[in-house]
Amino acid sequence: MSLEKITTVQQVCTDDNSTLIIASNGGYKFYFYVPFLPSIRISSTTTAAVTAMSSKINHHHQNDKTNGQIFPQPCPHLADFHARNGTKPFRAIQDCLHIKPPGGRAAIRRDSSEVPRCGVCGDSSCPRLYACMACAAVSCHVPPHSSHVAIHATKTSSACSHEIAVDVDRAELFCCACRDQVYDRDFDAAVVLAHTTSIIQSSKPENLRKRRRIDYRPWSPDLRERSLMVNNASPIDSMSSSNGDLPRGLRGLNNLGNTCFMNSVLQALFHTPPLRNYFLSDRHNRYYCQSKNGVRLCLACDLDTMFSAIFCGDRMPYSPAKFLYSWWRHASNLASYEQQDAHEFFISMLDGIHEKVEKDQHKPRSQVNDRKDPVDGLRVPKELPSGTMFSANTQPQSASLMMSSASPSPPCVSRGIRIPYEIDEIPASSLVFSGILRSDVMCMACGFTSTTFDPCVDFSLDLEPNQGSSMKTSSTKTNHSCNCEADGMNSSQNCGISTLMGCLDRFTRPERLGSDQKFFCQQCQVRQESLKQMSIRKLPLVSCFHIKRFEHSSVRKMSRKVDRYLQFPLSLDMAPYLSSSILRSRFGNRFFPFDGDESNTLNEPSSEFELFAVVTHTGKLDAGHYVTYLRLSNKWYKCDDAWITEVNENTVRAAQGYMMFYVQKMLYYKASEKQGTS
Amino acid sequence: MSFYVVGKRRNSVNRPPTPDAVEDQEKEPTLQEIINIKMIESGEKEKLMELLRERLVECGWKDEMKALCRAYIKKKGTNNVTVDDLVHVITPKGRASIPDSIKTELLLRIRAFLASAAL
Repeated sequence: MSLEKITTVQQVCTDDNSTLIIASNGGYKFYFYVPFLPSIRISSTTTAAVTAMSSKINHHHQNDKTNGQIFPQPCPHLADFHARNGTKPFRAIQDCLHIKPPGGRAAIRRDSSEVPRCGVCGDSSCPRLYACMACAAVSCHVPPHSSHVAIHATKTSSACSHEIAVDVDRAELFCCACRDQVYDRDFDAAVVLAHTTSIIQSSKPENLRKRRRIDYRPWSPDLRERSLMVNNASPIDSMSSSNGDLPRGLRGLNNLGNTCFMNSVLQALFHTPPLRNYFLSDRHNRYYCQSKNGVRLCLACDLDTMFSAIFCGDRMPYSPAKFLYSWWRHASNLASYEQQDAHEFFISMLDGIHEKVEKDQHKPRSQVNDRKDPVDGLRVPKELPSGTMFSANTQPQSASLMMSSASPSPPCVSRGIRIPYEIDEIPASSLVFSGILRSDVMCMACGFTSTTFDPCVDFSLDLEPNQGSSMKTSSTKTNHSCNCEADGMNSSQNCGISTLMGCLDRFTRPERLGSDQKFFCQQCQVRQESLKQMSIRKLPLVSCFHIKRFEHSSVRKMSRKVDRYLQFPLSLDMAPYLSSSILRSRFGNRFFPFDGDESNTLNEPSSEFELFAVVTHTGKLDAGHYVTYLRLSNKWYKCDDAWITEVNENTVRAAQGYMMFYVQKMLYYKASEKQGTS
Repeated sequence: MSFYVVGKRRNSVNRPPTPDAVEDQEKEPTLQEIINIKMIESGEKEKLMELLRERLVECGWKDEMKALCRAYIKKKGTNNVTVDDLVHVITPKGRASIPDSIKTELLLRIRAFLASAAL
């Protein structure tokens, strides 16, 4: 729509201290409300001002589009309605918005016991009843046969516009002239306000607002760095490796006595792109760390040692004995040759790296930068000259590492403790895996919602309960055919096979906290039945999904392993599980600012993830074996302790996943990794 | 029938006089209408609606409808579809594909309600 040529400017509806101006350019009208301007003479200057304002508004609308939503063409009747009803056209409706039950849908009722019925035919069971926004008359709308609401609009429109009506059961606007749903910012704001009127986001952490970012800085070695690299490192020659068909970094890990739980997780960590690049770009230097802090327990140093060993090109299986010993010292309750849970190890290990950093002193940054490079000829080159294998991807990835380190506190927060870090001191592991979960608990009595944000390092997901119960199978067959082209989100329900998406749906589904687990409501000041819903506020760089395959039955007082097959995709879109999507679906299809800051969503990293490692478990609860499948340059490798073999994708798909590691798609460098291997 | 009259009165508050076709509609309400009003007043209708919504999501019906709508909109072009068109096209398909088990469950619930309300 062209705004350059405003042909008419009209001044209407002047009350004591404000003026409405209507400007039109033929097809479209624009409305401006000018407060504190009792009477103005429309002159050429006003026209100019109006033109300027309208172009601003147009600009504003373009901004909206970039938010990922496409807005329909504005309805002229709605604009007309706005013009006639002043600044707050929906003021009257505000008191009629009822949300029942708490957390339910918005509906329009003058009082809660009202039974709306069509004013013409008296029908109250019609599925679509509309209340006219101008005179509050309720009429029915049964499209092909009769539409009393449309008749109402045409009959009465001479006096004032009756085209805009509101659906009494859905609280959505409808234009009777266009015969279509219309959307309005003010109206939606009123509805969202009615939903959230009691929400006091007291627990909202400050750090979500104050977002600090560090820009990506390109790095090219200066002369000194260049000479250090040339003297202390040798470029990786991809052709020199003994069996060139395996990508670099694939090295078996010896089983040190029931340590497959550790080996499987370590293999996944070695090939976690942000983590690999963190260590291979010398961001935690064990020599430096030891010279600074003395020789003491440091899991990150041991990881650094292992990264060097794994990526040095040697294919002989490696024994992570030093690391195991350090971990035993860290987690003394797990120190034994018994079989352990891989997930427990993963959490405990991340914790261990964390604890170490907590103890560390806060170091000035200059000191960190001026450190001496290690003089060790045998060391694996860390920062490689361009043209070698990792040079292409190290830079952007470490940059994004830093980026997220500067974003809210979660990277630094695990177990609720905030630690001031220097960039170089941030433990890569916790930074890579940590996200923020949002949990809303709504009181079913008064509708008060309390929201909390919790940092997390992985997503522990429940397997869906047994599929194939009589009710579900009956519906599955009919649904299957037409769902193939759909989002794929719901395939879990339709194929009778559990999927990772199905687990995530369950994870983010509203859950009724029954009478046995009542929640204390701050508003009622008593324990009430409530509704709890989880969503993901901030995605981690690497999402680790842990499938709860160990089931504890309180009835039989025993635990067992669930061997059910779980389907997992190679590419995963996490968008539906984000807080923004969850809230959007809760309030219906409306405009509303999420977390008070609409531009926020623009800066969020992408929600698309790529699978790169699967830890599988075979066997029973008390005895079994862990094997990891790694995806490198789109080929799959099976890491079974000391043995590494290439496998078919179908083998991986058929395996029983226990932990799945997904990395953000923008960090998954398919192309550059291919270059490295070819 | 007192609830019915009260409901009617409240409706006409704030409304300009609408002389056309009102008073002759003030007949005896049908049984269906009485049940409908009873269900709304007791909150049972809202509960049933919620149950139905939950079931339809669970069995994939909602996603199926969403996919159908999406396909239709794609076919017609985003700007050439109204809500009425969608309702017209999708409703018969939607009605037909609701699983029988859900219909049965709802029927039993309604029956139980009527028995308890002793109508």
